[in-house]
Amino acid sequence: MKEVFVIGSGIIPFGRHHERSLVDMGAEAAYLALKDSGLTPSRMGVGFFANGLAGRLFGDHTVGQNVFWEVGINRIPVINVENACTSGSTGFYLARNMVAAGQVEAAIVVGAEKMCVPEFGLINSGETEIDTQLGMVAPAGFALRAVRHMQEFGTTVEQLAQVAVKNRGHAAENPVAQFREPVTVKEVLESPMIVDPLTRLQCCPIADGAAAVVLASGSLASHAERKVRVDAAVLCTGSYGNPQDLVRWETDYTTCGLAYENAGISPEDLDLVECHDAFTISEILHYEALGLCKEGEGGRFVEEGHSKLGGRIPVNVSGGLLSRGHPVGATGVAQIYEIVTQLRGEAGPRQVAGARVGLAHCMGGDKAGDSKSCTVAVFSV
Amino acid sequence: MNDFEQQRKSDIRPVNPGTFTIPEDSETPPELTGGFCPSCRASYYPRPKYCPGCLGEVTVRPVGRCGTIHSFTIIRTRPPLGLPQPYGVGFIDLAGTGLRVFGLLDPDQLQEMRIGDRVCLSVRELGHDGRGETRVRPVFTLESGSTQ
Repeated sequence: MKEVFVIGSGIIPFGRHHERSLVDMGAEAAYLALKDSGLTPSRMGVGFFANGLAGRLFGDHTVGQNVFWEVGINRIPVINVENACTSGSTGFYLARNMVAAGQVEAAIVVGAEKMCVPEFGLINSGETEIDTQLGMVAPAGFALRAVRHMQEFGTTVEQLAQVAVKNRGHAAENPVAQFREPVTVKEVLESPMIVDPLTRLQCCPIADGAAAVVLASGSLASHAERKVRVDAAVLCTGSYGNPQDLVRWETDYTTCGLAYENAGISPEDLDLVECHDAFTISEILHYEALGLCKEGEGGRFVEEGHSKLGGRIPVNVSGGLLSRGHPVGATGVAQIYEIVTQLRGEAGPRQVAGARVGLAHCMGGDKAGDSKSCTVAVFSV
Repeated sequence: MNDFEQQRKSDIRPVNPGTFTIPEDSETPPELTGGFCPSCRASYYPRPKYCPGCLGEVTVRPVGRCGTIHSFTIIRTRPPLGLPQPYGVGFIDLAGTGLRVFGLLDPDQLQEMRIGDRVCLSVRELGHDGRGETRVRPVFTLESGSTQ
């Protein structure tokens, strides 16, 4: 395997972009990443375009070819990726593998989503799936984990709320985040109940948005001063054995362990983490799966401030999905954008001082009490 | 059940056909239908086409009717599929096979339900198929109120 670097990244503000098309947003992110990389479009050997919902919402397919054509990328393999919330990070996984294998010298990954449309409703794992027909919606799957975590470990609703408060605090310094006003524990808990015990401010908001990164081989990246090394990129599915443990999340633990092994590091080596805080309980579960704290102690970990900027291991200094918003196909790439920005030392007021090793973690879909997909990538400078 | 009700019941189609029984008479309780691999001695719900353990044949088999609530929650926001607002869902640990299955909970009993409570399956017209056509769904009810 050859060394792989991220040498360019781009993002557009996440939020409601009623006037913009999916292609328009994706093309802007691609343009920004290309310009940032210093490479011309003709140097790209492959392009991955990640999107989760255009087929369902607009009847659009194979959108990547339209996006890449707009930024002068053509006559190369263009691959459209759908893997639920991990669509973007799956595109990154594939791009990294192709560069590492020496198949291409450079690759571009664009994740984009347009989902702020009337009557969007709650996201599910597929209309015809057995659980969907029995009323499973994304927040319910996480609420069922929260209920168990509270039952088994005594985690409190105040601790859950602390995740939302912390990430909002971080978002204040992130210009691309959708919600940047601070919130209090009281406000979080008093916002409308969506699915017990998760209130509205504990659920990530929908958003339109796009992000992109350019990857390059060691030889092509040798000129780049702001390059960030990719130490691992893993993708796992679950076993879907029965019964599933709702709080010791199999695919989460498996994927995180594999990423540490591949990168040759342990949790103590990390300077920051971007994880899939789709709901407050998610971040608490991910602390534990990532080994940032012991099993069952995730609630206390956030309460004691270990995961905030300036704490022992800052988590979601971008504001996370809870504040940035969750444009499904863009999220996985946006997390990598944040890690790259931090490791370059370019994050301004939200900079993690001296950050040298960062991790991006994403999960997607729901199947038989586990998730369908989990990705973890480790980066360093 | 009179003839009219019998006719009416047969007209309303179930969600996830083949995953639960709809008894013909009021004496027979409904149950979940899953699969069993004789080689691996593994139970499945829902039934996969092949056994993921050995790729052998999976026979159709009842996997349970009653169990205990492992976790449950109440969805208070606008419900999908014409389900009641609010409605409840949970994971149930089935007695016998030990399978932990996801399912709907009786919307009229949500306030009384607790983790560890014993529930049994019932079937009823609840919600629609996404296009407005009524569907029969399996619903777990507290054991004391689990008569058909």
